[in-house]
Amino acid sequence: MEKVIIIRYAEIHLKGKNRGYFERVFSVNLERALKGIRHELHRTSGRYLVAGYTEEREEEIMERISCVFGVHSYSSALVVPSDMEHVYEAVKTVAPTCGTFKVDTHRADKKYPLTSMQINAEIGGRLLSDFKSLKVNVHEPQSHVFIDVRENGTALVFGKFVDGAGGMPVGTSGKGLLLISGGIDSPVAGYMLAKRGMTVEYLHFHSYPYTNEQAKEKVVELARELSRYAGTMKIATASVTHIQEEIHAKCAPELNVTLLRRFMFRIAERVARKQGDKCLITGESLGQVASQTIEGITSSNAVVTLPVLRPLIGFDKNEIIVRAKKIGTYDTSVLPFEDCCTVFLPDFPAIKPKLSFIEEEESKLDVEGLVEEAVAGLEQIAL
Amino acid sequence: MIYLDSAATTRPNETAIARANKFITEEYFNPSARYGGGASVHAEIERAREFLTAQIASCDKFSLVFTSCGTEADNQAVFTAGKRGNAVTDGGEHSAVFKSFIELKNRGVEPRFAPVLKDGRVDGDALLSLVDEKTSLVSIVHVNNETGAVNDINELACRVKAKNPRTVFHSDGVQAYGKIPVRLTENVDLYSLSAHKIGGLKGTGALIRRKKFPLQAFLFGGGQEGELRSGTENTYGIAVFRYAAEQKFRTLAEDAKRLLCYRELLFDRLDKELFARISPNDGSPYILTVSASGMRGEVLQRMLWEKGVAVGTGSACSSKKPHSRILESCGYGKEMLDGVLRVSFCSETKEEEVLHCAEAMNAVASEYKKKLG
Repeated sequence: MEKVIIIRYAEIHLKGKNRGYFERVFSVNLERALKGIRHELHRTSGRYLVAGYTEEREEEIMERISCVFGVHSYSSALVVPSDMEHVYEAVKTVAPTCGTFKVDTHRADKKYPLTSMQINAEIGGRLLSDFKSLKVNVHEPQSHVFIDVRENGTALVFGKFVDGAGGMPVGTSGKGLLLISGGIDSPVAGYMLAKRGMTVEYLHFHSYPYTNEQAKEKVVELARELSRYAGTMKIATASVTHIQEEIHAKCAPELNVTLLRRFMFRIAERVARKQGDKCLITGESLGQVASQTIEGITSSNAVVTLPVLRPLIGFDKNEIIVRAKKIGTYDTSVLPFEDCCTVFLPDFPAIKPKLSFIEEEESKLDVEGLVEEAVAGLEQIAL
Repeated sequence: MIYLDSAATTRPNETAIARANKFITEEYFNPSARYGGGASVHAEIERAREFLTAQIASCDKFSLVFTSCGTEADNQAVFTAGKRGNAVTDGGEHSAVFKSFIELKNRGVEPRFAPVLKDGRVDGDALLSLVDEKTSLVSIVHVNNETGAVNDINELACRVKAKNPRTVFHSDGVQAYGKIPVRLTENVDLYSLSAHKIGGLKGTGALIRRKKFPLQAFLFGGGQEGELRSGTENTYGIAVFRYAAEQKFRTLAEDAKRLLCYRELLFDRLDKELFARISPNDGSPYILTVSASGMRGEVLQRMLWEKGVAVGTGSACSSKKPHSRILESCGYGKEMLDGVLRVSFCSETKEEEVLHCAEAMNAVASEYKKKLG
């Protein structure tokens, strides 16, 4: 009995005339996820089948598929000739031996001598006579047996549906640039937009020597973890050391963070335009820290024209943590290397900075020169 | 690069490595093997054992167990001796001892911590007052690894034994061995060493023990090291340790004299507006710890690294990491704790390196002050 993995996709079927495009991107993403493992990928009506792999790698394949956006669900299944004897042999390996069950048949081959209901009855009957502790319950069964009779004379037999990552294939919603720190939030923000089909690229700001190399390595590791979902294989890093020193030397201390964020947004926009990213993405959540008030957000938005997407804006910290744990970035995020050195942090940051005051303070700096300098020093790291 | 972080680890001694190389290329035999090759390697380990012990103690009265590191030696000492009642140590201990004492609490032994003086030495009288008839272990570091302060362990051991003869006395000698002249008296039961602080390799340590002391094994298996530490011996590491120690002990006195001059030269050249001294005058000649009060030691450390100078630090630039536990227990405030830099020497340290380091330290600290002051 050959094993295959059935992959069902999520929203692609809603996409009307664009469906072909979505399916092509989806299959490219699946192939990329399975790179390095011998397999064949077949498209059949409304789903994909992974076949031709060695059984010991099945778990790894399933794990990788679980990270591909656009997957609604997937199942490990057996492929057998569609006659009742073969089908029942396969059913016996996936069916329970006790408790309640239900047989659920889907028949694509309309010429098959038995109807779906008849197949359910036949297979169910055989199971009941072979396993005395089994009982049928069609409303709330403890276990399922699924049979898919296909048009090519074979049938797929499987026991369960595993939920996929959902969302849309990465690459079908354009490219965005994620401002990634070493914290918990930004990787989750990147994940959420990748889930909606966006190719997420990364930009990280550091202030070496005020921050250390470990902080940078931590961010690289976070980007690597996120890449299991987002597919991007490089991260850009920019130094804001000189900018922080200048702000510290010349501007009102309470605006330290506000001004730095405006610089970060300006640099990010330049990088985004150069790389073809259509938006900036941040992990901001309203009111979480002093710079994430609506006034803080307004001040950052004022210096860029690209849209800034903030998928976590309405989330509580706890909700973000739950997601970070699920994605697998949480443990790295909480490592004790800070990406923002506390030497520059003011004792009392401005919570509701006025734009006119910000602009007045900023005018003391060579904004263009500092942004240019940071962009020129951009470093690309392969993941 | 000018490397002045030798208290963290020394550059391995090249002569020692070359001499020990035959234990990788030719005499790679298992020391437990019963044929000629095995026996000869075994004999080499025994010679190393005797040599390393003899440098600071009488081989009639003391022996040595090879371990994988100083931390393992400290753990074996603490968990062998700390079995009942209470165990006393001080705030100036390396984490290998300090955290082992914290663990003692989980094992039903009461840990007691004696206060340390401003320079990092243990307060002897306070220590003694904590010792009573139920004290099973006292562990006091020989040279404080963050300030360089030297504890007179023979004297402390003598006072402890006078108060309770059944109390086991252990000392972590990792920063002292091969650097500070000492002869262990029989009041000291256990003494930990590490090879990579004197030109040996990481992965080699040892625990010197009084021969009559009933040390307990924590690794079981082939029964090596007289059943006290099973596991095939690290012949190469042990040989490098021995050859490195040979050289180190040969020049111990002159190194100490020269490095003491360098230590004072370094401090002399530092801008006193920027740096305050933490290390005591009568401490280890190998360590000078200072603080650029109000600055961040870790940032200065990276600025120095960019200038080609590697030194150590006492704290991390992170709100999640507390300051150096040891220096905090010496009673320093936040401003001082933030700015700690530890410069540490080895036999090969040259005068011009020390001068260059002083210049670089002054330069980065004034740059820091200019930018952030």
